[in-house]
Parts: sequence; C-alpha cells; structure tokens
Amino acid sequence: MATLPTQASGGTDLPPDLQLELRTFEAVGRDISLYDLLGVTPDAEGGTIRRAYLDRSRRYHPDAWFRKNVGEFGPLLSRAFQKLSAAYQVLSDEDARTAYDQVLKKRLSHREREAMERRALSREEQERRQRESRERLLRTKGFARIGAAHKLYEEALELALNGERAQAIAALKAARELDPRRGEIAQKLTELEREAARSRSQLALKAGREQEEKGDLPAALKTYSQSFQMDPTNAAAAAAAARCAAAVGDHQQASTFAARAVEIAPDDVDTRFLLASAFATLGLKVKARAELTRVLQAKTDHKEARALLKRV
Amino acid sequence: MAEPVIGIDLGTTNSVVATVQAGTPVVIPNRSGYRLTPSVVAIAKNGKRLVGALARRQAVTNAERTVVSVKRLMGRKWSSRSTQEALARLPYTVVPHDKQRDDLLIQLGDSTCSPPEISAMVLAELRFDAEAFLGQTVTKAVITVPAYFNDSQRNATKDAGRIAGLDVIRIINEPTSASLAYGFGKQVGEKQICVFDLGGGTFDFTVLHMYKGVFEVEATGGDSLLGGDDFDNRIVDWLAQPFLEKHGIDLRKDKMSLQRLRDAAEKAKCELSSTQQMEINLPFIATAQGAGPLHLQVTLARPQLEAATLDLIDRCLGVCEQVMAEAKVKPTQLGDVLLVGGQTRMPLIQARVRQMFGREPSKAVNPDEAVALGAAIQGAMLLHQEQEMLLLDVTPHSLGIAIAGGFFQSIIPKNTTVPTSAHHVFTTVKDDQTSAKITVLQGESEIAAQNELLGEFMMTGLRKAKRGEVDIDVIFDISADGIVSVSALDVQTGLRQSITVTASSGLTEEEIKTATKANEEWMLGQKEDPEFHKHKARAEEVFRQFDELWPRLKQAAADGLGHEPVQRAEAALSVARLQIQQKETVGLASSIDRLERMLGALRGAVERGLVSPRGGST
Repeated sequence: MATLPTQASGGTDLPPDLQLELRTFEAVGRDISLYDLLGVTPDAEGGTIRRAYLDRSRRYHPDAWFRKNVGEFGPLLSRAFQKLSAAYQVLSDEDARTAYDQVLKKRLSHREREAMERRALSREEQERRQRESRERLLRTKGFARIGAAHKLYEEALELALNGERAQAIAALKAARELDPRRGEIAQKLTELEREAARSRSQLALKAGREQEEKGDLPAALKTYSQSFQMDPTNAAAAAAAARCAAAVGDHQQASTFAARAVEIAPDDVDTRFLLASAFATLGLKVKARAELTRVLQAKTDHKEARALLKRV
Repeated sequence: MAEPVIGIDLGTTNSVVATVQAGTPVVIPNRSGYRLTPSVVAIAKNGKRLVGALARRQAVTNAERTVVSVKRLMGRKWSSRSTQEALARLPYTVVPHDKQRDDLLIQLGDSTCSPPEISAMVLAELRFDAEAFLGQTVTKAVITVPAYFNDSQRNATKDAGRIAGLDVIRIINEPTSASLAYGFGKQVGEKQICVFDLGGGTFDFTVLHMYKGVFEVEATGGDSLLGGDDFDNRIVDWLAQPFLEKHGIDLRKDKMSLQRLRDAAEKAKCELSSTQQMEINLPFIATAQGAGPLHLQVTLARPQLEAATLDLIDRCLGVCEQVMAEAKVKPTQLGDVLLVGGQTRMPLIQARVRQMFGREPSKAVNPDEAVALGAAIQGAMLLHQEQEMLLLDVTPHSLGIAIAGGFFQSIIPKNTTVPTSAHHVFTTVKDDQTSAKITVLQGESEIAAQNELLGEFMMTGLRKAKRGEVDIDVIFDISADGIVSVSALDVQTGLRQSITVTASSGLTEEEIKTATKANEEWMLGQKEDPEFHKHKARAEEVFRQFDELWPRLKQAAADGLGHEPVQRAEAALSVARLQIQQKETVGLASSIDRLERMLGALRGAVERGLVSPRGGST
C-alpha cells in the first residue's frame, strides 16, 4: 500500500487517518455514486440515509476543527462536507432521488440495480394501493359518497403537504367525482393544478436557459414558448421567448411574445424595447413609437431607444 | 483556565448574556442583578451614555435622545419600505446618511450614530457585565440573530460586535440557538422538533432534526418585521384612536406621550397574560387648548387585546405552515414544540399553537433565556470542543443574481445547509468587453427588484477577446455565519478576476475602525478610574452605617424626631446609588460628604433621643 508523502501531515492538528480519508474523498469524483459517498446501499431508507449523513458530518464539518490548525486541509474539509451535503440534498428528496436513480442505473452493477428496483417496486406498490383504495371509495353509493369524498379530500391535503402533488391531484379528482358540489374540493384542485403547471413551467424555463446558453436558439425558443403556454403568467418565459425569436429573426413571433411579457410585467424596459424594435422591423411605425415613448418614460437615458425613435 | 466565551442574545427589546461554566450553561446577571438588560441606549441631559434599565427608566422624559428597538434598523437601507414603516413608530429621529449612500443614521443629541454603533453600546455593556461576573477580560463571543436576517443585517450585527471590541466567532440563528439549550445534556436518540420564536421585533419558525448531538436545521422561515413591538403598537392605536376622535389630539405625534403610551401598552400586554383585565391610567397625557390638562383612563380586557392582534397571530401561523410544507413534515409528527421569546407568553398564542400542533408546547426552556444559553453552548462547542455537538444550519433566503429583463435567477436555493458554495459561468456579450457588473440579490421573488440587494460587483480588467470567448466563473460562498462572499475566475486562463464591492449597507471598514477606537477609549474611561473606585468604597461604607442605624432611626422618627429628616436621608441615599451606577465620580464625592454629615447629625439625634426626658419616658 502506498504511503502518503510525509510533508502532508506537517503543520496540522488533524489525525493522520482523517488526513488520508480527506485526500481520498477529495480524489473521488463523479465516478462514485452518491450512495457510496454517504456509505449506504441504494435501497436504503430515508432515515438510514439521514443518519449516515449526520454521522459523517460530525467528522468532516469544518466546525469540528474550528480554529484548529488544519493547514492545507482547510479547503479539503470544506469541500468534503459540501460533497456530503449535496449528496444528502439529492437523496433526501424523493423526486430528485428517483431522477438520480434513473441516471445511475446505467452504471450500476447487477446487485445494486436489483436493490434499486426493489425500492422502486415498493414505491410503486404503495402508489398502487392508494390508487386501489381510491377506486374502492369511488364505488361508494348513496349518502356515504359525501363521507368518502371528505376522506379523500383530507388525504389529498396530507399528500399535498408532503409534496406528493401528483398523488394529491389524483385523489382530489376522485373526490370531485364523488361529491361534485363541494366547492373546496374543486378549489383545492384548481390551486394544485395551477401550482403544478407553474412548477412545470419553471422547469421548462430553466431547460430553455441551458439551451440558450449553449447557443441552440431555435430549441430554446420552442422550450420557452412551451414554458409560457404551461403558465400564461410567467413573464420571464415570454420575455425569454421574445428574446430568442428576435435573435433568430422571427420578428412576428418576437412581437407577440414581447407584447405578452410587457402586459404581465410592465416595468420590464428591456423587453419593451425589444417589442418596439420588432414593431419597427415589421414596419409598424405608430406602434413602435408608442412603445418607445413608454421605454423613455421609464428610463430617460435609454440611448438605443432614443436613436430608434429618431429613425421611425 | 480556558479562555472564556460568551453567548449574547441581542434582542429588540431585551438582551441576555450567558456563558458555560464548569460544563453548565448559565445566564450572567448584569451589574444591577437582573438577567435581562433592556436594549435601550440614551444620552442623558448631562451628556452621559446610559444603557439598559437606566436608559429605559428615563425614556419618557428624554424620548428624543433615547434609542429603542434599534434592531429593527440594523442593516436596513434608508429608502426601503420596511425602514419607512418602522420610522413612523419610533420616538427618536432617524436621518439618511448622505446623498451617495442609502444608509441611515440615528440622531442622538448633537451627534449621529449608525445602528451598529448603538448596538455596540449594548454589547459593550453586556461585555462589562460578563467581565465583572467572570473576573477576567472577555473578547470571544457568539451573537444570535433572527434566522430570517439577511446578509446585510448579519454583517451589521457582526460589525456591532467588532465595535464593542468583541471577536465574534460566530453569528447563529436564534431558534437554532434555543434548540441547543433544549438539547443540551439530553440523551435523546433521534427527535424532530420545531421552534416558534416570537421576539420583540421578529418572528422565526424553524424545524430541526436532532440526532446524537447533531442539530440539523431542515427548514426555516419568518418575518423580520413581526414581533412583540407590533402587539404593543396595536394597543397604542387602541388607546390613541378614540382619544383622537374625542379630543382631536393624536398622542402618537408627540414623542413624549408616544413613549408613555408605549410603556403603558407593554405593561398592559404583559399583565394581561395572567389577568383578565387591566386598568390603564395616564394622567396629564396632553393639554387641550383652553380646556386644561387631559387624562387617559381606560380598561383593557384580554378579549379586546386578542381581537386587536388576531391577524398578527394568523401571520405567524401562516409562516409555520409554509415552513412545515418546505420541511415536508406534518404538525402532529413533530416530537416537541419550543416556544421562545417573551411574546409567546400570551395565552392566545399558546392556545393557537396547541391547536395547530395537537400537543402541549414544551416547558423545558425559559423563553427569555434559551437563546443566550444556546449561544454560549455554541461558543463552548466551537472554542473548547467540550461537547460532542454539531450544528448544521441553513440559509434562510435564496441567493442569486439579476439577469436580462430584470429577472432573478437563483443560484443557491433557500434552506441549503451552510457552509455552501455554488458557481455560475458568465460570458462576455460584447467584443473586447473589459468589465462586467454582477448584481447579487437575496430573496424569493422572480422579479429582481423585489429582492434584497446585497451588492454590486464590478469585474474589471477582463481579457480583450471576441464576444462569448471570455468565460468568467463566479463563485458564491455562504459561510457558517450565513455571510456571503463572491470571487471570480477566468475559465480559459485560470486567472483570478479582481472584484470590487460597492458598499451596500452599514459602515465602511474605515468607519468601523474609528468607532472601535472610540469605544475602546470609552471603555477605558469606564474601567480605569481609581478615583471613582475610592469613592464607591467610601459610599458603601456609608450605606452600611446607615443600614445599621436604620431601625433606631425609624423608632426615633416615630418618637418625635419627625419623618422629614429620614425621608431626606432616603432621597440622598438613592441619589448616591444612581451616581454609582452612572459612574459620576464628582457628583458621588459631594453626595458622600453630604451623607456623612447627615449620618453624624442623625446619629447624634438618635443618641440624644435616647437620653432625653421626652424619649425616655420609662
């Protein structure tokens, strides 16, 4: 076994075994899984993962060596802890963990894959049971339907509280079918569906930004426009779509998106200017002038707007 | 002996200092013997600086030169909405710093002070108390802040510590701190708890997980402008509004009557936690034109107070629901509910909490002292590693940058465990672009302008190249204190980029140094006055002799000496005691002379009385 260079242990209070651990920890990259980082198996339960994380934090958290001479190991400690907490962040969130598992699956050994599938199965099983109980309740007859609807409604609230939005929506839909006249059921359903749309829209917006950063403007435009369709109050999505449309030379689309964006967020001077430029390019001088005047009202020193106003 | 470290709960209305002695956390009483020191600073008519109970006692007669609730102004900008709202309620004068800077200053007599300087005066007082208690110099401290404090507010608090000559080893969150006091020395395997912290000026709600001495914060949230003060203000309005309608005088406009209303409101609020109704009596509160003095006398009943503050409690509970949703936990799953902050003594709050969580709130911690005790524990944990405990706290706000169109892009989401770091790659948008501005913000809104501005960073000296060819990797760090720092790296060349920060809040480095020096001088002046100590010793001897004489003096007064000389002596004694507290060397000297003369005369009178035929009638 190779020993570490001796100068590594010079000038620090850290015990040698921790120094070695830190160097190993620093060296591992994406080639080891988040499960391995925390020292748990892929079928580990939430509680086990948390305990593993807290046990390891006690060793790697910089506070454990507060104002001690950690020498060159200072940054290593801090990075080691951040790796741990990032891993825990993913594995403690049911959705993020499922997504991560999908990616991980491809690189796993047979045994690990089995462990992961066991967990997925038990989750599916749980969902299946919930679905069945809903279906059973749906078959309720007569006055009992009101009670059943209430039970489902309560269940949905609890699911929503636990972040299981999709499940909550399914439960609410069943409840609505049982008792269509209860206002609060429909209300909660609309609220959750709107929330779901908003969060899908945000995800799309983020994906669009990544595409735009990579320079794939047509794809970004498509994603932004989808994001805006999912949540018609998302001004950021409309503004981004307008920006991309203008960049690819589609001024008709640019003007449509920009108009929607400034309708929702009237203070967005940049998008308003973009709208004016699109109008100007399309030959709609009156409209362009109106928008430019509003840009200059908001920001009197907007040089480009002033120049464009002169031209139209 | 290990170097002492103190924990300070720097509260909106009261502050507490604690330390860990022989493995046990203890609250340090102040030099007057009380465990709570009012966070009040005043400049007395004679130009002396008063802090704590002394400052509070003279607040009514000196409202304009007395600073209360300064915590509400810490790290705030002059133009912010929250500042302007707070100002309407404060009896003292606040002015903008100057045209270039959006900071604020407090008018205190002839001079102006920044909020950190005022807080430093409270901290210096607490440091004195700790030094008197421990008998040695104290420099290391942990100071607590509401979890919901943002970066500027935390920095301002840290600056206040520095000005008071303290090495602030850590800023920690109040609810987390309270949980340390709760978990200290307990052998609990694993437990999930929450802390409901309603202090004088802020509300925080935190969900934590405890496991073998590791305290992991799962989610936190709050409202930095919701606290006990707001409950007081509701009573003030309840008192002032009918008076305005009846007499056409708004008592809230006059600084002195506002201070009296506030005092009465706070007293009534506290009383109503144990009684059902309370008489508020404020004679000579105003003068009507031509109609002479006006008095205010009303009875406030508990249900009236509850009705007037119902929406405030609802706001607290709304925050609780939101935080529990973020932590993905249901109220009934929590193992314990801690109530922290004096305002949680209100019976209605306890009832609503009981209702929400379906359990009796924990009585394991003292709501006034838990925060300071926890800070002392954290100090000992860090510095002496005495306890096998570790705190994993989170950042209460999302950190991000402003992007095109005035939108906000989050880079570190809220409730991320600290310390943490994240990076973001920026690309030049123009050919030969040599500088770029990055606006760093904290908050949850998608619109950049609605979030709190932390600072603007100018990256200069960028390499000249075609647009898009220079990638700058900007690294954002949040320390365990919750304080943000930013650095940048040129991706292609690996060179560090220089970043200049335009001061976004509070004080410049230069100003902190000046204030620190001024405070040091003041502290030296307080400490090294042998003349004062000589007088104090003399005074204590005189007090002792008076105590001895007292029973006989009372007898003599009843036997014909009369009460007047006794009352005069009592008055002179209380003057001398006040002068000792205020360290008025010269005044004390003449008081002692006077007391010694009185003592001689009274002693003579008592002796004569005993032998005189009138007194000795037996």
